[in-house]
Amino acid sequence: MNDDRHATAERLILQEQVEGISAEERQWLSRHLEQCADCALPARRTAEALRSLRAVSIPLPAGLADRAQLRVYWRAEELEERTREAWTMWIACGIAWILGLLTAPLVWRGFEWVGGLAGLPSLVWQTGFVVWWTAPALVAAIVLIARFGAAGQREQMR
Amino acid sequence: MPIEEERRALARGLRRRDPELLDGLIERYQYRLFRYLVYLCGNRETAEDLFQETWVRVLDRGHQYDGKSKFETWLFSIARHLVIDLHRRKRPQSLEALTEAEENPMQVPAGGASALDLAAAQEAEAGLLESLNRLPAILREVLLLRFQEDLKLEEIAVVIAAPMGTVKSRLYRGLEQLRELLEGAKP
Repeated sequence: MNDDRHATAERLILQEQVEGISAEERQWLSRHLEQCADCALPARRTAEALRSLRAVSIPLPAGLADRAQLRVYWRAEELEERTREAWTMWIACGIAWILGLLTAPLVWRGFEWVGGLAGLPSLVWQTGFVVWWTAPALVAAIVLIARFGAAGQREQMR
Repeated sequence: MPIEEERRALARGLRRRDPELLDGLIERYQYRLFRYLVYLCGNRETAEDLFQETWVRVLDRGHQYDGKSKFETWLFSIARHLVIDLHRRKRPQSLEALTEAEENPMQVPAGGASALDLAAAQEAEAGLLESLNRLPAILREVLLLRFQEDLKLEEIAVVIAAPMGTVKSRLYRGLEQLRELLEGAKP
């Protein structure tokens, strides 16, 4: 029974600091610590350890914040530039797509005319038209994937 | 301004990548973040590099802060991920294995305050710092978050991405070990 009381006291000493204890438990613990020197010692040591821990200070390196602010500033510039480039590219893609759509009937007739002139089977000049239509988008997609891939690798390396 | 409103304003500013806001945050949290990093990676130089990296990451991923939790909780979890990434790159190990990485990483450096002040500070803190250095990083970390940062257990669980049970058991183990180490360090 006596061992149980010491074990409970030991548990409550730590629990009080880590997650807190109820008012009744605190009252019981105080009473027990007043009577038991064996339990009062670890309680005092715990309090001392925490006091020391709270008092410890880590000196800051000189100019720590300034250097970080500069790094953040450079990175913000870089991101802004990247955003500008992305916008320019998307606008260019949009314009190219609209123009492609508007001129598609004319180009179709052009392919048809050249195919007829050269005596090519329909499948050949129609394939040519499809390649003409999809090639720019494919090239743009490959460039974008390569760029994002390289940017991702750079991020991982940092 | 109420805390919730302040956090929402902070989240909006981070989404906009507001440079003035970031400058202010760096100033405001520099000590707490640097201390956390020193505790975690056990090396001042590495901590300084990761300090900068953390703020760059805050700029990059500012849109991920929702303003519902404390900013420092989010900040510490970013810093923690960077420490883990760094150690994974160096050696294939987790934070669990990171202990006694450097000799006396939290020592008071030369320069800055007067030599007498430094000597006195060193003497007073030597025992504690030595004891802290001998604790595994995962225990140092929770002790710092709980007893220096005064974070709630739930907030610590978010920072270290672990269940509450793990947080509590690390705190109990950390406190017990620190107490024993301090006792052993006494002359």
